[in-house]
Amino acid sequence: MEIYLPIAEMSVHWLIVLAMGGAVGFLSGMFGVGGGFLLTPLLIFYGIPSEVAVATTASHITASSMAGAIAQWKRRSVDFVMAGVLLAGGLIGTSFGVYLFKLLREAGQSEIVVSAGYVILLGTVGGLMLSESIQALRAARAGNPRPSRLQHHNWIHGLPLKMRFRQSRLYISVFPPLVLGFFVGMLSAIMGVGGGFILVPAMIYLLRMPTGVVMGTSLVQILCVTAATTVLQATSNYTVDILLAGLLILGGVVGAQFGVRIGAQMRGEQLRLLLAVLVLAVGLRLLIGLVVTPDDIFSVAVEGQ
Amino acid sequence: MRATLLVLALMLLPAAAGAEDLVSGLSQDQIQITSNYTGSDLVVFGAIEQTPDADSDTVDAGRRDVVVIVRGPSANMDVRRKDRIAGIWINNREVTLAAMPAYYYVASTQPLDKIASPDVLNRYQIGVDHVKPERTSTHKASRAEEFRQAVVRERVRAHLFTEAPAGVEFLGYSLFRVHVPVPAGAPRGQYTAEVYLFRNGVVMSAQSTPLFVDQIGLERNLFNFAHNEPFTYGLATVLMAVLLGYLSSLLFRQPG
Repeated sequence: MEIYLPIAEMSVHWLIVLAMGGAVGFLSGMFGVGGGFLLTPLLIFYGIPSEVAVATTASHITASSMAGAIAQWKRRSVDFVMAGVLLAGGLIGTSFGVYLFKLLREAGQSEIVVSAGYVILLGTVGGLMLSESIQALRAARAGNPRPSRLQHHNWIHGLPLKMRFRQSRLYISVFPPLVLGFFVGMLSAIMGVGGGFILVPAMIYLLRMPTGVVMGTSLVQILCVTAATTVLQATSNYTVDILLAGLLILGGVVGAQFGVRIGAQMRGEQLRLLLAVLVLAVGLRLLIGLVVTPDDIFSVAVEGQ
Repeated sequence: MRATLLVLALMLLPAAAGAEDLVSGLSQDQIQITSNYTGSDLVVFGAIEQTPDADSDTVDAGRRDVVVIVRGPSANMDVRRKDRIAGIWINNREVTLAAMPAYYYVASTQPLDKIASPDVLNRYQIGVDHVKPERTSTHKASRAEEFRQAVVRERVRAHLFTEAPAGVEFLGYSLFRVHVPVPAGAPRGQYTAEVYLFRNGVVMSAQSTPLFVDQIGLERNLFNFAHNEPFTYGLATVLMAVLLGYLSSLLFRQPG
């Protein structure tokens, strides 16, 4: 049965949308990622306007991070002080991002910024993951343990306005988490991602948080920031499609459950290699979209619709 | 402005010149489209009446044509052209076409260029090549035309601009009807249905009837909700997301 998405202003088959949510949910469950960076491009490939894809995906991530956040909360593996500081930066970041997005839309450039941003983001993240997982696979085959990349001191420790994060057993300046939160919040507004793939490594390698609290803390931050992004996009850009979001979420939460089970049976390095290839493929597809001559080089936007 | 001109033009038509008169009507003067449906259908019907003093010569003297136009509400359209910059296609030039009809349907008894001269078609804006915006944001006529054609292409693809060169169906000698498809994406607002009677390339008679297209149903209500109360709408979306996420964590125990 075809349904008409009121904000995307197009007819879609509800099963296809449900399946897209399910597939992305499956992958995000399998790889332990939020899936926003896969869902937004997928929606764009399907023909959903990119500004609607970005804003609606934010609400999808709110739902998919909810279950994880609750589980981590129960395990008391959330550093709420750190989450609060990240969130403060995140709220400023997403407000700025949504405002920026509004300006880009009015200039007719939001589509290109979203696509080009994804090409850069997916290319970088996918490339890094690919080289890292290939190294790990080689090392595993040679029987060597992976070399530790951790340094003991970095420039982060020289910054002022230090604050104690008891649960993370850290005494660091508030600026790194604030800036990190800001950056991820802005990404959430412009690209419709939760930002976990940047947040988690940054928390481990830059902030030096113990890995036990990283997942929970980042999930709480992502949950709150994407919720704020959804409301901000709805109020300033009118681009959140509640029907699309509902279908994607329904598919997503079910798909994630299967993904988690499959993922648990696979080896970490193989999983990362697979994810890296997937990420690069999506990035490549978007790049092709930017370079290939479009069917019609003109586009029409009706004012006041 | 344009509507007034059109009405004036219709009034100035030589009423007594022809021995034929036109009557027409619509199946509905209100159309309600549910967006999840494939749209709706409007029937424009009419008859060419012979006045009693008409002798048989005038009836067969030359070709008689009927043109039916349904015109949607006007809108301002921002048209952008992509250009290849550093290998990538980027929106580059923008032209705004002010007061361009957002929906346009024309049916006729034969191809329009065989019915009347381009001048006449232009004057009455008959045919998608003759639909013009009131103003454009560019002064270059060739550029305005290039961007206007882009709108026509986009609207034709969306089934919002249609030409049906054999769409006028005659039932007998004087009775005719036209099925006008109104697709799900048709904009809401005031439409006009215009019926023209041509003889030898000259408009002999014309009629214009207003109708109103409205969109109803859940999708329309959600659209209104999103635009009238965006903050509550945003909160509702978040609430739905949080609830579904929470429910899923209750239904499926997290392994490990």
